[in-house]
Amino acid sequence: MKILRFAAVGVAAALALTACSSDSDTPSETTKPTASESAAAPEAATIKLWLNGTDTPDALREYLTTTFAAQNPGSKLVIEQQDWNGLVPRLQTALASEDQTPDVVEVGNTQSATFTYAGAFSDLTSLYPELGGDKLLPGFVEAGTADGKIMAVPYYSGARAVFYNKDMFKDAGVEVPTTLADFTKAAQKLTTDKVSGFWFPGQDWYNGATWIYTNGGDLAVQDGDQWKGALSSPESIKGLTEVQELFKTATKAPADSDSNEPWVPFNQGKAAMFSAPTWARWSIDLPECNEGVAADDKSDEATAKRTKQQACNEEHTGVFPMPGLDASKVATAFAGGSNIGIPAKSQHQELAQNLLKIIFSAEFQNMLGQNGLIPGNSEYATSMGDDVYAKAAIAAALGAKLTPAAENWATVEGDRILEDFFQKLATGADVTKSAADADKLITDTLN
Amino acid sequence: MAATAPTVAGTTATPVPPARRRRPKVGAYGLLVPASIIIGIALGYPLVRQFVISFQEFGLKQQFGAAPEWVGLQNYKDLLTDSYVWTVIARSVAFCLVNAVVTMAIGMSLAVLMQRVGRSARITLQVSLLLAWGTPVLASMTVWQWLFDTQNGLINWTLSNVLGIESMAQHSWIIEPLSFFFVATVIVVWMSVPFVAFSVYAGLLQVPTETMEAAQLDGASARQRFWGITIPMIRPVLSIVLLLQVIWDLKVFTQIYVLQRAGAPTRDTNLLGTLIYSYSKEFGLAGALATIMLVLTLALTGFYIRQMLKEDEL
Repeated sequence: MKILRFAAVGVAAALALTACSSDSDTPSETTKPTASESAAAPEAATIKLWLNGTDTPDALREYLTTTFAAQNPGSKLVIEQQDWNGLVPRLQTALASEDQTPDVVEVGNTQSATFTYAGAFSDLTSLYPELGGDKLLPGFVEAGTADGKIMAVPYYSGARAVFYNKDMFKDAGVEVPTTLADFTKAAQKLTTDKVSGFWFPGQDWYNGATWIYTNGGDLAVQDGDQWKGALSSPESIKGLTEVQELFKTATKAPADSDSNEPWVPFNQGKAAMFSAPTWARWSIDLPECNEGVAADDKSDEATAKRTKQQACNEEHTGVFPMPGLDASKVATAFAGGSNIGIPAKSQHQELAQNLLKIIFSAEFQNMLGQNGLIPGNSEYATSMGDDVYAKAAIAAALGAKLTPAAENWATVEGDRILEDFFQKLATGADVTKSAADADKLITDTLN
Repeated sequence: MAATAPTVAGTTATPVPPARRRRPKVGAYGLLVPASIIIGIALGYPLVRQFVISFQEFGLKQQFGAAPEWVGLQNYKDLLTDSYVWTVIARSVAFCLVNAVVTMAIGMSLAVLMQRVGRSARITLQVSLLLAWGTPVLASMTVWQWLFDTQNGLINWTLSNVLGIESMAQHSWIIEPLSFFFVATVIVVWMSVPFVAFSVYAGLLQVPTETMEAAQLDGASARQRFWGITIPMIRPVLSIVLLLQVIWDLKVFTQIYVLQRAGAPTRDTNLLGTLIYSYSKEFGLAGALATIMLVLTLALTGFYIRQMLKEDEL
């Protein structure tokens, strides 16, 4: 038994060492600052583009690869899809390494500031006029600018609109609301023991921000070179009080859920309204419309059934932009979307710029619009068409607002300060006190 | 140890052939070289790097090429003057101790049970334990999350529909920190019990039947035999397993992180592992906190390791 014990101590020691160090591994790659731009020669190469999630449809990806190959003889474009989840840590390591970095990268608009201030992107200021200049969505350009240099440009934006179940509206005798106050009343009227008038989970600050912004408040404001949490401003408090009223009286959504897949309860008949980017229309699947076709069935019959199903879903579902304080305006919603930039460590700066030029060509911008994404260049927004979805999307996008363009904003999101805060409101905590606490955390994090 | 020392010493002391000691030591050390190199690269390098970084201002800018600035003990000072960090340390230690003790108690009971029951019952038990041990963490976390889900979870459904406790229908298990840690404890214990049960069971098999028989003949009751003979004899195994549990439970990360993402309030449920992770843009702070955690681990286990090594020298 002695030998056994000795071996066990050895194993324990080794495990203990592992145990202590595995959580604390710090990225060990410290790359020297290299001026990669200076060496850029338009030499044929394979470049990598990282796109996130499935937001960019396949047809658009194909267009990019074929056009790029045609315009840059001998060179090739490879598109790699990244998951939105855990994107920031992945970019932190990949963008810092010459071997691993993509040559063009998409990054969430609220995540841009993290990388632009750190010097992860190449300066695009001189290319900016050629890509669209002032016509590029201004809020997104601001989010991609650090110390006066434009580091990332808008790729697409997605506006939020409210989807509603027309049958439930009819049964409850509710009309589409025209002011934000009306919206609360409508949601309350639609709420029953089993049904949420408005699907509003406790951690859903993306939608909650609408009430803050619309009432003239903000999440954080800049004061000199310092940032300050702004949730306790009188305007924000007014919006947050309305948010808490909705939590209390107009939703059955759990306080421990976030804004993911709000169409699921809607499809199950557990919610009369939900708010999401307009591409959520493809996820609506009401039981009365379901034709029972498999998603991968490519036969003509299946396609016809799918078309019928989609038409039926859209017949039973309405959509409107969240209304503003009075009937003449729409609400200021939170704008989702992405920026796109060229990592400073990329070894193919010139080819990467060529790819950006293709992305900002009229043809590709129009293709984005046709697929329900608001193109980065506002000149091409008309390509979205004029159905109710496009109208709601464009109306909502015009007033949409981003998160504060603070260097450390991504840390506020990483620490989930706003999720925690809205959840507190959902569980009935005092608005003024919770807002003051959250403001303190935001201020500490941003400076 | 006094009463049972003779028995233990009598059974464990295997005579060491004297020839071994006289061999030239160079060869023996030579054999250690490959292992040392691997440990040096895989563990030593990150550890040293972490230590160095903890004295630097090292953020994203440095990650992308800026020169790090030496700040001395500033990172440590920032952390140790932050009352929130102390709250998290206290929370982590409490969580770690409760989990280690509960895991040990259940694991030992199962080991004793395995020894006492019949063959088929034992095999069933062993297979289920192995399955729990072998399931990938994220896969089982998903299942646990579904079980405790607020709206569609099996636990809430059973409580409200089967047992008729209406108020539990939409109960959120993870929104209150205490309830959150209860769920986390259930999951962590469930995942670590198999290791304890098997290790202790292996230890139990080593207890010689002759000794037990002799004690029985001398009139020792079952309880006396268990506490007086079995436990002291398997003590080395118990110590090591408990030591590992303390270390593992202190650095628990995956279970807490996944549960937090399932909708728990993050700040009120952070443990050391998740707090270090949240410093993912300030590597200097993260390195300092990781070093503090290392010191904490050593403080919790150092006495114990010394004790074990001392016993070995007997």
